Amino acid sequence: MLPFIKEAVEQLFSKPSTEAYPAVDVPAAPGYRGRIVFHADKCISCGMCERVCAGGAISTTSEETEEGTLITRRFFLGSCTFCASCADFCVKNAIELTTDYHMVARDESELVVTGTYLKKKPVKKAAPAVEESACTVKARDDGLPVNDPNRCVYCTLCAKKCPAGAITVDRKEKIWKLDEDKCIGCGTCHEVCPKKCIIM
Amino acid sequence: MFKKLIDNAAAKSPWLFHINAGSCNGCDIELVAVLTPRYDAERLGFKLAGTPRHADIVVVSGPVTVQSKDRVLRTIEQVPDPKVIVTLGSCPRSCNVFKGSYSVAGPLDKYVPIDVSIAGCAPKPEAIIDGLALAAKILKEKREAMK
Repeated sequence: MLPFIKEAVEQLFSKPSTEAYPAVDVPAAPGYRGRIVFHADKCISCGMCERVCAGGAISTTSEETEEGTLITRRFFLGSCTFCASCADFCVKNAIELTTDYHMVARDESELVVTGTYLKKKPVKKAAPAVEESACTVKARDDGLPVNDPNRCVYCTLCAKKCPAGAITVDRKEKIWKLDEDKCIGCGTCHEVCPKKCIIM
Repeated sequence: MFKKLIDNAAAKSPWLFHINAGSCNGCDIELVAVLTPRYDAERLGFKLAGTPRHADIVVVSGPVTVQSKDRVLRTIEQVPDPKVIVTLGSCPRSCNVFKGSYSVAGPLDKYVPIDVSIAGCAPKPEAIIDGLALAAKILKEKREAMK
């Protein structure tokens, strides 16, 4: 009985455990991910934030002006998961998630964070003549693949994907070799080649 | 005279009804935290009602799934006017990460007008208190307008 009385008397004179929130402001814990702040002057418009955004909260609009392109990035906090992926992936640290958690709105526009910056037009240079290297090899009659050494970058993807293991690629020596006995003529190498230099 | 007394009392005690429209439970837990002794929304007059017919403020969490859509709308219709619809978290406002899913029929503002939206995923209990206070203010405005 006595311990209970002690507890009761103690609680009678101790501070209430309820937080007096609207009267006393409660700061969020350090590292809390709240309202987004966008530093538009740092942005280099790589678009990484938009690509990694899980909730699809980031959108970009651009407007052509005489001085360059006026780019506006829009963050809709009503669609944000506050995962901070955009801030993590931003190479210029242009996106920041603050500890401000007071995000209550009557209207959708109150939940939108925008930033506008000007992307200046580059000084025009004479475009270098692009030489499209013509195909130098002909397709074989027996349906086996043949490689065009002019366009090949020796990425070894064809060798990796070949189900029969018929292709060997030496990146250093720049040799592309086909084992004709092993090759089954399936065309996988032709499909996967990023440069489309394997001809069948 | 009694009517005035009742009006004054009702203005200071808006009752909540909480609907889970396919929420992940994060926002629901935060709303429950608001009603616990630490945040104690009841000191501000908010009380969780057991039925939508007793409620003034409807709190919706979740992206409104296909399964829950009809039930959510039916429940909201049962709330007597004036009512204030509060969206809790990002989901009912915009479907959040569930956007474009075959099983999501939201966002909520396709069907009913949203009065207050509390952003956050999940919102902090303090932010929910802010939102409920705003909802109570809007409720008062709506009551005045109905007179």
